[in-house]
This record gives sequence, C-alpha cells and structure tokens, in this order.
Amino acid sequence: MKKIIILTLSFLLICFLFMQFFRPKIVNSPASADFQAPPNVKAIMIRACYDCHSNATSLRWYDQIVPVYWQVAADIKHGRESLNFSDWQKMAPADQKSKLWEIVYQISAGAMPLGSYTEVHQNAKITRDELSTLKAYVNSMAAVALPDDTAKINAADRQYSQWRKEQFLIKQVPIAPNGVRYMPDYKNWQAISTSARFDNGTMRVIFGNNIAAAAVRTHHIQPWPDGTVFAKVAWDEVEDKDGNVKTGAFKQVEFMIKDKEKYAATEGWGYARFKTPKMIPYGKNALFTTECINCHRPQKNEDFVFTQPIKH
Amino acid sequence: MRNIIYILFGGIFILSSCQSGSKNIELFNEQAKLPETFKFDTLGLKVMSSYINKKSGTMSTLYANPFALSNALDGDKSHRAGEVLALVTWKQQADGNYFGADVPGDLQSVEIIKSAIAAKNVLVSYKKYTGKNLDSAPDTLQQEKRITYIFNQRPSVMP
Ligand code: HEC
Ligand code: HEC
Repeated sequence: MKKIIILTLSFLLICFLFMQFFRPKIVNSPASADFQAPPNVKAIMIRACYDCHSNATSLRWYDQIVPVYWQVAADIKHGRESLNFSDWQKMAPADQKSKLWEIVYQISAGAMPLGSYTEVHQNAKITRDELSTLKAYVNSMAAVALPDDTAKINAADRQYSQWRKEQFLIKQVPIAPNGVRYMPDYKNWQAISTSARFDNGTMRVIFGNNIAAAAVRTHHIQPWPDGTVFAKVAWDEVEDKDGNVKTGAFKQVEFMIKDKEKYAATEGWGYARFKTPKMIPYGKNALFTTECINCHRPQKNEDFVFTQPIKH
Repeated sequence: MRNIIYILFGGIFILSSCQSGSKNIELFNEQAKLPETFKFDTLGLKVMSSYINKKSGTMSTLYANPFALSNALDGDKSHRAGEVLALVTWKQQADGNYFGADVPGDLQSVEIIKSAIAAKNVLVSYKKYTGKNLDSAPDTLQQEKRITYIFNQRPSVMP
C-alpha cells in the first residue's frame, strides 16, 4: 500500500517536472509608446495592471511554475491583446480618452485586475482612494460642451434637413461583419430608458422590441428571452447657454439580439453597430464583438445588459 | 511531499475558480417608473426626442403619436385635430452601473398635450401630472408657454 502511494507520488512529481518544459514564451519588448499620465495615476496602473497589460511583465517565482504559468501566460496574451499600455500612444487621442473611462469602469465593477490575479498578488488590489484618484483624473477629461457651439448646431441642422428630404434612404440592408443585419424599425420600438454620457458628450435612447417590452411588463428579464432586441441610438449633445441640451447630429445605432444558440460564442447576444445616417457597419471583421463583450461582461449577472428598464 | 501537492493543486484550484463582481443592483429602474394605473403605454406614442437640463439636473423624453410626429417633421406649425404629445421628465441620477453616464432618477412630471376639434376650431388641451404618483396638477400660469415650447420641438434624427 505504502509502495503504491510512493510510486504514484513519484509519478506525479515526474509529470510535474516534465510539464515545466512546456512554456509558452512571454516576451518583454521595449515600450515605445508607453502610457502617459500624472505620476500618481501611472503608478497605480504599473502596480496593478502592467503585468498583463504591457510589454513590461514582471513575474514572481510562483507565477513561473507550470501549470500556474500556463494560466498566467494565457492572461497576459489576452490582456495585451485587449489593452496594452506600452502601445498607449498609438491610439488616437479620442480612443485614449474613452479607454480611460472604460478602465475606471472595469475597476469599479470589480472586473479588473482579474480576481484570480489579486488572490495571489494581494498588493495589486485597487483601494478606494486609488479609485477616487482615477475617477478625478478621468473627470478632468470629461467632454466639456461649448454653449451654442455653431459647428455642432450647423451639423445638426444640415443632417436634419437631409433627413426630412429623405436623403438617407438605404437601398441595401447593411450587414455587420458578424452577420447581424440592420433593423430600420428600431425607432418604432418602445423606449426602455435614456442616458446622458458625460464621458463623451453624447445622449442616448435605448429601445426594446416587442419581445423586450413584453419581458419588461411580465418581469422576465433575468435572463432576457430569446428574440429580445435592443437598439441604442446616440446623438451629439447641443447645449445652449442656459444648460438646455438637445439631440444634435445622429452618431450611430447599436443592436443587441438575444439568441442563446445562434450567438453562443458571444455569450448569447449578437452585437452590431451602424455608424452615421448611412448606417455603415462597424468592425473590420467578426472579432469586433470582443470589444463589445469585454465592456458588457461585468454585467454578467444582469445578462450582460446595462440598462435598467423603466416601466411606462 | 503530500503537502506540496495539496498546495499546488489548491493553488491551481484557486486560480481557475471563477471570479465575479458582487454588485447588488436592482433589475428595474424603480425610481423612474410611471405608475401602472397611468397606463402610459396605452397612449400608443413613439419617441420623438430627448432632452437634458443641466441647471435643474433633469432629463426628459418627448413622445408623440404618429400623426403629431409626421406633422412635426413637416414643420407644420398650424395644429390639426388628433395630435397627442407627452413630455416625461425625471430628475437625473448617476448610473450605478457605469461611471460616466447619468440616467433617469425620480419621476418628476408628465405633461400631455392633445388637440381636438371643438365647434370647428382646433382646441389644444394641456394637462400636467407631477410626482411619483403623477397627481393631476392644475397649472394655468405656464400652460400657454408649455404648449408653445412642446409644439416647437423638432424630432431627433432617426434615419
Ligand atoms: C492577470 C492579468 C490581468 C491583470 C492584472 C489586469 N487585467 Fe485587464 N484584462 C485581462 C484579460 C485577460 C482581459 C481580456 C478580457 C477578459 O478575459 O476579461 C482584460 C481586459 C481588460 C479591459 C478590456 C479591454 C478591451 O478589450 O476593451 C480593460 C479596460 C482592462 N482589462 C483594464 C485593466 C486594468 C485597468 C487593470 C489594472 C487595474 C487590469 N486590467 C489588470 C487581464 C488582466
Ligand atoms: C466602454 C464600454 C462599452 C463598450 C466597449 C460597448 N458598450 Fe454597449 N453599453 C455600454 C454602456 C455603459 C451601456 C448603457 C447605456 C449607456 O449609458 O450608453 C451600453 C448599452 C448598450 C446597449 C443597450 C442595452 C444595454 O446593455 O443597456 C446596446 C444595444 C449596446 N450597448 C451595444 C454595444 C455594441 C454593439 C458594442 C460593440 C460594437 C458595445 N455596446 C460596446 C458600454 C459599452
């Protein structure tokens, strides 16, 4: 009996040692376009995020042991793919800004740094004070509206008169790279909420189709039933000097379609975004949905939906 | 040795166990809801536009029936019988789900305008309801101003 135990353990040990040779490479390349921010903000990112989101990964000895190492390497690979602080300045300034808001959101939702990581690297946890520091920093960059901004007013007026003359008639149904088709009927659906995005100076209406509206009425929204479709429309804000804000130029409409089977690969929802009144599909290829899901994922307990519907 | 194995497998287990944010947020926006007895959804209205007022910290959505909507799009300022418009106003609150957004909070008022034929003239009626329960609020002072304001709105571009 004892012999068997010793044999088994030795076998496991040998396997374990052997496994150490299977190591995906983690390369630390120089950072040519590193993240720039006030030192206190940057220090937070370096301590809590850089291991997975930069080319300057610094692994502790316990991260280097297979199979732990496999998980670490996979996190780093995916982490760098979705956000790389070493390439920060390669993003357009507007994208840098919106990334910062998303970062604050991911942290306050408890989604970042990954829980599996902070369990081992306790000092990577973000404290409440640090979160306030980050919030103050991004707030200082919130879109500031110029009252009576003529450029915005003119753009809105031009678009409005074109729309009235039906110059945006769409002959061929636009299709997103993942196969989701544009649905022109969204404007006749029920509004389930509105939102004002002071991060980027837009205002939005969130519509739900009949199935969504029925689900709201009957309280069956966790999960939302198959066939539910949301449309979120975004406009520029046009503000006058008294602080009255109206919708300006139409920016885009986004869709989320619930179909557990068809969209299993994207957590049960089919995503699509159509930009400008010409409804130009967004995304180079079907992988554009990664961006949508990464931001919607912390809402997992609410079936990946942000909006809390308002019963009318 | 056995301890080391336990520690190792324990470690693997911890690393692979899934994590999830433990937020506790209501599914519906209860503060902003319209009372069921008001039966807003039976008015058959569509979204016409939406507004924010930064000074008063409010958000509004303007609804219209298809007839009023198409008249507004025509830019027709003379009113015809059969138009219904409703302006719903909420106090704004921070979005509990997303830092960077504001959403409707406490319900503040619903203003409803209806035009009808009375003795061959088009008669416009204005009704205002306020508070969480939408109690009827006779508002004679602002009526004319509010009717003009609401009739002057143009629809948001929705191609
Ligand atoms: C242990 C590795 C790890 C750490 C540490 C980590 N992340 Fe992540 N992060 C990931 C992975 C992996 C993803 C890809 C999506 C997923 O799996 O959730 C990701 C995704 C993200 C995204 C979404 C990017 C997109 O696609 O738009 C943001 C934003 C983000 N992380 C911010 C942070 C911030 C800020 C920190 C530090 C406070 C941090 N992360 C720490 C691994 C990590
Ligand atoms: C940076 C984070 C972020 C990203 C990336 C993102 N969303 Fe969202 N999405 C939100 C937020 C926040 C809301 C809540 C409404 C609001 O305030 O705009 C939302 C709401 C929505 C809604 C309405 C239903 C709901 O969940 O409330 C749709 C539809 C939607 N998004 C589609 C998309 C699509 C399609 C993409 C990718 C092309 C995308 N989103 C990417 C943050 C994001």
